[in-house]
Amino acid sequence: MNSEKVIFAFFIVLALTLNFGFFLGGMDDPSHHNIYEFFAAIVVSLISTVLKVGDRTHLGAVFLATSLVADLQLLAAAVVWGFVSHVYGQELQGHALATVISLSGGALLANFISVILLVVDTMTVKR
Amino acid sequence: MPNLIYVLFRRLRSPLITLILVYAISMIGFVLIPGVDDQGKPWHMSFFHAFYFVSFMGTTIGFGEVPYAFTDAQRFWVMLTMYATVVAWLYCIGVLLSVFQDASFQRMLRANAFRRQVKHIREPFYIICGYGDTGAQLTHAISEEGILCVVIDINQDRINELEADDFRTFPISLCADVSLSQVLEDAGITHPWCKGIITLVNEDTVNLTVAVTAELLNPELRLISRAETPEAAANILSFGANEVINPFETFASRLALAIKSPSLYCLYEWMTSPKGMPLKEPPLPKKGLWILCGFGRFGHTIYEHLNVIEGITPRVIESERSVRDLPAASIIGRPTEASALLKAGVKDSVGIIAGTDNDANNLSIIMTAQELNHTLFRIARQNHEKNSHLFQSAHLEMLMQRGTIISNTIFAFIKTPMLSDFLHIVSRFNNDKANELLSRIIAVVYDGVPELWEICINQDKTPALYEVIKKQQVMLKEIIYGNSIADTKRARMTALPLFLKRGKGNVLLPEENRIVQENDRFLMCGTNEARQKMLLLLNNINLLESVLSGKEVPASWVYKKIRELSTN
Repeated sequence: MNSEKVIFAFFIVLALTLNFGFFLGGMDDPSHHNIYEFFAAIVVSLISTVLKVGDRTHLGAVFLATSLVADLQLLAAAVVWGFVSHVYGQELQGHALATVISLSGGALLANFISVILLVVDTMTVKR
Repeated sequence: MPNLIYVLFRRLRSPLITLILVYAISMIGFVLIPGVDDQGKPWHMSFFHAFYFVSFMGTTIGFGEVPYAFTDAQRFWVMLTMYATVVAWLYCIGVLLSVFQDASFQRMLRANAFRRQVKHIREPFYIICGYGDTGAQLTHAISEEGILCVVIDINQDRINELEADDFRTFPISLCADVSLSQVLEDAGITHPWCKGIITLVNEDTVNLTVAVTAELLNPELRLISRAETPEAAANILSFGANEVINPFETFASRLALAIKSPSLYCLYEWMTSPKGMPLKEPPLPKKGLWILCGFGRFGHTIYEHLNVIEGITPRVIESERSVRDLPAASIIGRPTEASALLKAGVKDSVGIIAGTDNDANNLSIIMTAQELNHTLFRIARQNHEKNSHLFQSAHLEMLMQRGTIISNTIFAFIKTPMLSDFLHIVSRFNNDKANELLSRIIAVVYDGVPELWEICINQDKTPALYEVIKKQQVMLKEIIYGNSIADTKRARMTALPLFLKRGKGNVLLPEENRIVQENDRFLMCGTNEARQKMLLLLNNINLLESVLSGKEVPASWVYKKIRELSTN
């Protein structure tokens, strides 16, 4: 067992699960979407990006790309959230809420691709 | 460049993760710990404010407690996270700085810059492997001509030396091992502007590796190599090298030539001398007994060459008893001592060759021998460039400087690639024929060594002549006499065509009445002034037409019209 591989897989899967957890719920109901979960999703996504940088293989490059996409989507969602609740001073609901959730949905897709790549990579390793 | 970013991020991985974690924990703390707003009501910091606060706290900017004054519980958390974030930042910056100072990272940075520079070259250039005495002389000579060099040496000290030197065209340099094909590729061996590769490394095996690499990667490329042994020379030649120069062999054959045919010797010396050197009287070594001190690679080569000349008896003095293949009648002893020299018969000999690999010994041999017999023809081998001054002051009849021989010869071949074929043919001349050629060359030069240049008749190099020969026949003498033809009094020949390459045929000393054709390549010889004039003539259509027709041709459209009207 390789502890580096464990940590790597852990963060990739955790990024997906947190993201999924946040995404799950009604598009118009703010109570279904926990801000702490969202924060954790961003942090884990950032960490998994840093873990992926520096791998020079082709697969590593794709890993990095999907991770960067997830970061971008999540950070965009965070900016929308922050802007609506602090600059406009409104509650997060309606159109703004839908935007945040759909952005995180995009990130979810990217994280999902990451996990698929991880599974494929694991399967192709010859024992 | 991508390599550098990968290395940088791999090294920064743990500091970056630390930074992200410290930020995340600090922010969570601020969001969870309850505070009060300005009216004393309980209030929770949002993620937005938490990120804002942690950002300016961690970077030690510190705007204060915003948006409301903190409670003591919050201040406890600030005290903890303040130190944590600052330490995380310092850790990050420390690692970043150490990566940039890392020797291997800097080497990568330099290699990257080198690769980029080479990639952007848009002019003809030569690759020079090895920047020792020879490499330095050659690089200076080439850059003096305004040609770009790419220099590679395995020793960083030598590259530093190069960077401290003055050049007209500053070379691009890198400290790397040329026996690695990747290095040669980075240096531009497959670059479309690369004109040739010159390998001057001390070790023959490395030169051979370069030759093999060049042959495999770019077989069309001109390759000039140095070799110290005949075996290596033959080997490198077999890999498609255009020219292999063995300094000992070159010098020994020149010496033999000086004895056998002084005129040919002169020809060789002049053709391969650096620009602007004064014409020197050829040394006239006599036949008889020659004393050869030292029987290493140099001594061996000299012996082989002298021994076959009729009337010359080379006698070897060697201090090492264990040297192999020592010829019969050799003397074992120290050549720096008078006793050994006397034993070898210095009083009856005509010349002495100090050919050991130690400069101090060589000078000492010459001094001692001169005291015993002041009529000797003295030849010494100089091993190190830094001793030049000493050898100059000894006023020797002939001096063997390895670096100078190689660099002069290679430089001549680079400047005028046809020269090597020309010299090849000339080497079969007898003394009378060589004498005749010599006197014809002297007629076109004043006091310096002749300037050699090539002209190639095509649209690119000589546009004016190319235009004209499509319309009318031009004889060789018309371009040689140049623009002095109008002035019949000064119609002295200032350039001598030495050699013509037309298709696959070679013509030695093409006659003046020969018709010039497209794609002819001429090797010309004369003064620098003649060269400038000729190049001007071949590139300027107005000048050329006025020279050919003998009258002024108007250059501008208006004058052409006026001339047409007035003639009609």
